Amino acid sequence: MVMEPLADEPEIARLTARVAALEAALEERSRELRLIQRYVCHRDLVLIARLRSGLPPLPRGAYEPAFWHETTDLAAADVEQTLLDLWTSLIPPAPREL
Amino acid sequence: MPKTTLIVLAWNRWDLTERCLRTLQATDLGDAEVLVVDNGSTDETPYRLAELPWVRVLSLAENRGFVRGNNAGIAAADPASDIVLLNNDLVFTQRDWLPRLRACAAAADVGIVGCRLVFPDGRLLHAGTYILPDTMWGQQIGSLEKDVRQYTRDRDVEGIVFACAYIRHEVIERIGGLALDFESYFEDTDYCLRAREAGFRTVVCGGVTLVHDEHGSTQKDSKELMRIFQGSRDIFRRKWGTKLEGRYRREVLWQSILNFPSGYAMSCRELLRALEDEGVRVLYRYLYGPRTVFPVPEPEESHDYRLDVIRARRVPKRPGVAVVYGQGDCFRSNRGRYKVGFTMLEVDGFPADWVRQANAMDEVWVPSAFNRDGILRCGLRKPVHVIHLGVDPNYFHPGVAAWPNPAGEFVFLSLFEWGERKEPWLLLKAFNEEFSAREPVRLLCKIMNRDPQVKLKEEIRCLRLRESGGRISYLFNLEFAHYQLGALYRSADCFMAVSRGEGWDMPLMEAMACGLPAIATDWGAHQEFVHSGVAYPLPVRGVVPAVAKCPYYDGFSWADPDPDELRRLMRHVYENREEARARGQAAASEMAASWTWRHAARRIVERLDAIGA
Repeated sequence: MVMEPLADEPEIARLTARVAALEAALEERSRELRLIQRYVCHRDLVLIARLRSGLPPLPRGAYEPAFWHETTDLAAADVEQTLLDLWTSLIPPAPREL
Repeated sequence: MPKTTLIVLAWNRWDLTERCLRTLQATDLGDAEVLVVDNGSTDETPYRLAELPWVRVLSLAENRGFVRGNNAGIAAADPASDIVLLNNDLVFTQRDWLPRLRACAAAADVGIVGCRLVFPDGRLLHAGTYILPDTMWGQQIGSLEKDVRQYTRDRDVEGIVFACAYIRHEVIERIGGLALDFESYFEDTDYCLRAREAGFRTVVCGGVTLVHDEHGSTQKDSKELMRIFQGSRDIFRRKWGTKLEGRYRREVLWQSILNFPSGYAMSCRELLRALEDEGVRVLYRYLYGPRTVFPVPEPEESHDYRLDVIRARRVPKRPGVAVVYGQGDCFRSNRGRYKVGFTMLEVDGFPADWVRQANAMDEVWVPSAFNRDGILRCGLRKPVHVIHLGVDPNYFHPGVAAWPNPAGEFVFLSLFEWGERKEPWLLLKAFNEEFSAREPVRLLCKIMNRDPQVKLKEEIRCLRLRESGGRISYLFNLEFAHYQLGALYRSADCFMAVSRGEGWDMPLMEAMACGLPAIATDWGAHQEFVHSGVAYPLPVRGVVPAVAKCPYYDGFSWADPDPDELRRLMRHVYENREEARARGQAAASEMAASWTWRHAARRIVERLDAIGA
């Protein structure tokens, strides 16, 4: 018995090719990130990943000593904005955002 | 319950009146009557109003202005009805605003009730008014501050703006309508003062907030408005000037510091305001400047109208009573005939020079028994009185706005200047060692460092805090407006005040007033207001020599807080949150009941009365 070709076979082929392309892109992206990871800190890696994914960068809050610019000057700040900025900077990006 | 008539005064700008009435209708009005006084509008207002069957309209042939327009409305209302005067540029965003105002007006001696007003952008516009006889220029309390839910309790005030004013019918029976002396401006303050003379209090109902989209209902230009303002101001001065001056029953020269971000300056600002409220006319002079221990000139602007006025008052050459509020080595600057030195220190004694200068005063004030005992031990021979400092419950209370960590972490909060006395490494290491990075808990440190010789990043790095230990975040050298600090405290779960010694500790007291459980070193001035019913006193292992850059500490001692006890207490609070919350609530109640700036000012007034100021 000869099977009749399914009507949506071209669509399946197109989607298969699309999945393969996405897998290749993902593999390439992972390779890039592994490479970058050797040279940049975790925060920068997250930043790069977010920017590459079209997401906004992490807030620029300097809430860890490593990111703080040493100064004896005081900077006027707003409690609400500061806390929202701080909390946002602490929430790790969800995996789908990377 | 008395009948209520809401009087909305409108002149043209139907768009505003329509929005006002639409939002008003959506609130809980009960059986209140709504009376719109159309002040001679020439736009669509008259016929639009005719389309609203639920509104009674009083049409005036011409614009009679704010005073006469409102008086026409009052005259048209049932004499047995309480009156609520409303501007047509109000937006009603709170359904129960009227029942709340009515409840506030229920006390027999309350005559007038106002509410919080905010700008459309959310900033506070009004939480009552005051007027100083020096300038006769009414000021709105809290105006232009970000709304962090300050002034949300019911409070007595000198006046309110009549954009929204609930007036009991008994007041109208006694003193009539708004005074016709004023075409515009000052009529509301005048009315509140007249009501006060008739025995009625004016109150702001903190539980009601309305939006005031300020648009004057006038067609006059700014020059004409200024002419009207100055005319009304002159009338007001003639009418009330002597009486307002008469509310000052005492006078004192306060020599201190105002316009810097220091503890003395912050507390000085609060004390001056509270003393004025208690009927003390305060004169002020900067204590420091060139040829003193702090040679920096004081900035002119305090960003507070009342303080700027106080600062500008003329000081006689030889004032009666003068209080130097600052370091004890500045007491010799005291210019008064009767000299008071008011100081504090964080260690268990006072430098010989301070004591020498204190002995040249007529009397000495300190905020704690800890300091009283310390200065007496060091040789003070003059009378010494304990004058506590305080907290402002309008800004520091459990209902203040909060922006807690949305991830749900438990947050310990500490505020300190980096240095030996605050002993930050004790807290950072204890927290980092007690907790693990896997636990949903965080220490948030607001750190100030103004010493260029201190390399903060390097000092923190040298602590070798563990990556796997409790997580810490830092707010470095950020300066928040003092009025916003309550929101910072409320966004945390526990306050940490684990220094080696304190002369007072305003942040701790403010955090407690906000209802935070606090872990605080059980030594020094803390012992005035920290006890196990309202906080978690941190035991000390004893005292150790106070080794620090500050020369005032030489030869004295301060506390040695117990790091094991610190870890145990942090863990205890973290694991017993209900108990901690209850302790924080007890703290808030105690602070509001006994530790406000009003309490501090009244204690000072007692001394001034005894002195004969």
